[in-house]
Amino acid sequence: MKNIWIKIQRHLNKLRWVVLTTIFSMLILLPFLHLYQTYEAAHAYDLLTPTEKSISDTMEWISKPFVDDPEVDLNNLKGTTWSGTLFGLKLTDPLAVVGQISAGKMVYWPFFVTALIPIFLTIIFGRFFCGWICPATFIYELNDNLATWLRKAGIPVGRKKLDFRLKYLVLVMGIIISAATGMIAFAAMYPPVLIGREIYYAIALSGFGSGMVFFLLTLLFDLMVTRRGFCRYVCPGGALYSLLGHFRLFRIQRDVTQCNDCAKCNVVCQFGLDPLRDNFTQECNNCTACIAVCPTDALAFKMRVSDTPNQGAGYLGHEYKRVHNIQTKEGSK
Amino acid sequence: MKRRTFIQGVVGAGLSSLLAENALAAKNKPLLRFLRPPGALPEDEFISRCIRCGKCGETCPNRCIQYFDLENGMSSSDTPYIIPREQACILCMKCGDICPTGAIQPVKRDLEPILEKVKMGVARVDENLCLSFQGKTCGVCYRACPLADVAIRIGMLEQPHVLDGCVGCGLCERSCIQIPQAIRIIPDADRKV
Repeated sequence: MKNIWIKIQRHLNKLRWVVLTTIFSMLILLPFLHLYQTYEAAHAYDLLTPTEKSISDTMEWISKPFVDDPEVDLNNLKGTTWSGTLFGLKLTDPLAVVGQISAGKMVYWPFFVTALIPIFLTIIFGRFFCGWICPATFIYELNDNLATWLRKAGIPVGRKKLDFRLKYLVLVMGIIISAATGMIAFAAMYPPVLIGREIYYAIALSGFGSGMVFFLLTLLFDLMVTRRGFCRYVCPGGALYSLLGHFRLFRIQRDVTQCNDCAKCNVVCQFGLDPLRDNFTQECNNCTACIAVCPTDALAFKMRVSDTPNQGAGYLGHEYKRVHNIQTKEGSK
Repeated sequence: MKRRTFIQGVVGAGLSSLLAENALAAKNKPLLRFLRPPGALPEDEFISRCIRCGKCGETCPNRCIQYFDLENGMSSSDTPYIIPREQACILCMKCGDICPTGAIQPVKRDLEPILEKVKMGVARVDENLCLSFQGKTCGVCYRACPLADVAIRIGMLEQPHVLDGCVGCGLCERSCIQIPQAIRIIPDADRKV
């Protein structure tokens, strides 16, 4: 039974990509549905331009099985990952609440309540938002794949290491700036909110705004300076979730008896963590890429509130056999 | 470690004072003439409440809500606004319902609550431009007003007179047939009712 569970976990990374793709395509779909709603509200199908007609027809075809009255029913699905409405359930990014409290210097309880589910999940699963939901992660990971291809093609990409504590400074600075200026500073530089908003602007309004320029700069930063640099070193949301998820219940851990020291996990980890030496820390975003790549199924989710201290060389590896003078495979038990 | 904290402090103080100054400068600048969505809090409070999620625009069936980029200063970037001459508010009150932070207060779509809580601005008639005041009976603004006889009444030759009940939705400005428009909304940044 336990074996089957570990086998299933190997496929979590695929599931994660399905989730990320779904959320990203929803961000593109929702503005179109909004346009369709406004066409319906205007009762003027015949006056639409051919492009608008095709949008209206497509959206009608997509939404027809799910709604009776598009003008009303489509209001159940609004917003982005920053703040969304899902069939009456309002969900908000905890960072938005932190920003609002520091900018307004007051707690607006109806708003605070909407962030409780994400906060609760973050306390249990740690930085899962970053790996599983964030629409910017979707693009950043593709960007990282691009970096890998560029490297293969012989074009140098940045792989510097900075201090991961920088993002906590960004978080604190954001809070201070929000309190000083009375505006929510995070809303201007937090990639998932930028992505959600800019897609909406581009589709339903006049076009991309200045937020897109900032986002493109972060992509360049990731390519030229350091791998997944924004998420690892700058993102205030990542900092907040790391702090919230410090004592997370579910974490990826290494089974030292199964590990063969191949270090594939360290290579595949875009966050530059060190699963090989049990060094996951609060930075891990549960992306499960290391589980998927592990040839011996040594990595798996376990219920623990802290990381296992370094367990040393994997029992299936050369290093362990050399130290313990083991010649045969049976002996490794 | 000591030097590190020092540098952090200096950078922090410098950046925040810079940004604070920026925001203040934006406040002192003559603002563009725009309206906030109906039920919006007073301007300063609105800026500190709005999380820039964009849901008000996404739920507006009339597509009148637009978003600032940087043209109105850093502090109001990505906040919603309405230019009544382009597309005016139809007072459907859906934006207040969906706003997660109460920056746009939820207001029931009835005469009493709207009169009580909505104050986007107030209409003002330019009698030199208004056709009715020039002897050509028009009355379009009165016919466009959702709160006719509460917000606006017409006298002789359909001459419009704005009353205290005007909430500043801008439908009159939108529909005025004179170019430039003879009636326009003067925004109320305090939005005190």
